[in-house]
Amino acid sequence: MVMEINTSEMKRVQLFEVIGRIDSTNAAELGSALDRSVDEGRNNLVLDLGGVEYMSSAGLREMVRILKRVKRGGGDLRIANPSDRVKEVLELAGLDSIFEIYPTQVEAVGSF
Amino acid sequence: MGEVSRLAIPARLEEVRHACDFVVEVAEAANLDERAVYHCQMAVDETITNIIEHGYGYEGGDSQIEIICRTEGEHFLITITDDSPAFNPLEHEAPDPSEPLDTREPGGWGIYFIRKLMDDVTYDRVNNRNQLTLAKRLPAAAPLLAESGAEAEEMFPTQALNGDAAAVFPAGRLDSNTSVMLEKTLNIQLQQGHVWLFVDMSQVEYIASSGLKVLVAAWRRAQGQAGDVILSSLQPRIVEIFEMVGFDMLFQIFPDLDAALAAQSKRT
Repeated sequence: MVMEINTSEMKRVQLFEVIGRIDSTNAAELGSALDRSVDEGRNNLVLDLGGVEYMSSAGLREMVRILKRVKRGGGDLRIANPSDRVKEVLELAGLDSIFEIYPTQVEAVGSF
Repeated sequence: MGEVSRLAIPARLEEVRHACDFVVEVAEAANLDERAVYHCQMAVDETITNIIEHGYGYEGGDSQIEIICRTEGEHFLITITDDSPAFNPLEHEAPDPSEPLDTREPGGWGIYFIRKLMDDVTYDRVNNRNQLTLAKRLPAAAPLLAESGAEAEEMFPTQALNGDAAAVFPAGRLDSNTSVMLEKTLNIQLQQGHVWLFVDMSQVEYIASSGLKVLVAAWRRAQGQAGDVILSSLQPRIVEIFEMVGFDMLFQIFPDLDAALAAQSKRT
């Protein structure tokens, strides 16, 4: 197992917990999981990155693509619990001012 | 020159992970810290992924990509060689994070990260092969943290205006390092009774969440003292960030400083 995605349907939010590595071989898989939720009209998404040990720009690209999609539908994609390294990469990419990032899953889910 | 480690992988995406594992192992053995190891891993991933996607167009066939690691002087060096058509990534303008989201070339992110994460990157075309060398400073030679602390003591330029107003001119990237500088500059102005703060953003290329937080904190304080924080001359990319987070509703924003001052003098 390189990457695992667990999805939970909550009252107002769809929660995605990702475990493992996100790179160019599987970023599209993460994107499709989020796409399915948006296709069903669920635009409030939380992506819990607590279990992500590594993410390359391929993962960021999918996150930005989905963010644009959910914003158009009046929703948001919020990030929970990124590691220091992933947070640093988000900041380097200038994405920390575009994504709402929360230290815990509870706060991210509660923010909607 | 230290020990040399070498790995060759077929030019296919599913092989990139082996290159990452290899670099992590060698970088750890070279005493790089966890953060530097991560940077090396990501730079190698981005480099090789770009070669496979753009150099070979996903059709690497039997081509091999070679990764050689060694320490030389103060640096850990990673040289990546491939036989795809000549391409010097350093000649291509890397996208800036301050660029509006919609116009960013997604493919360019790899190059951007490679440059950001490594201390030096050089390109050579050797024997009809592309050769990119990534350098990461070894721990002993890494700059001391105190350097960024010293930066935080500096201030952005300001200009006292009539009465209880002042203009502030931040510049460059407002990220977690430089936001402290802005915070200090704004706080001193507020302490001096300049509760009408005209922040001219014309020289600001990028603003991170830390910079946004500083502006909001100053705005609250100024409002509490019957003043305001008024912004002008935002670059389009900054406007986009403001709109994304809804700050365009919070702040008064003017096309330039003169317009901001004129609007204010009319009101009072």
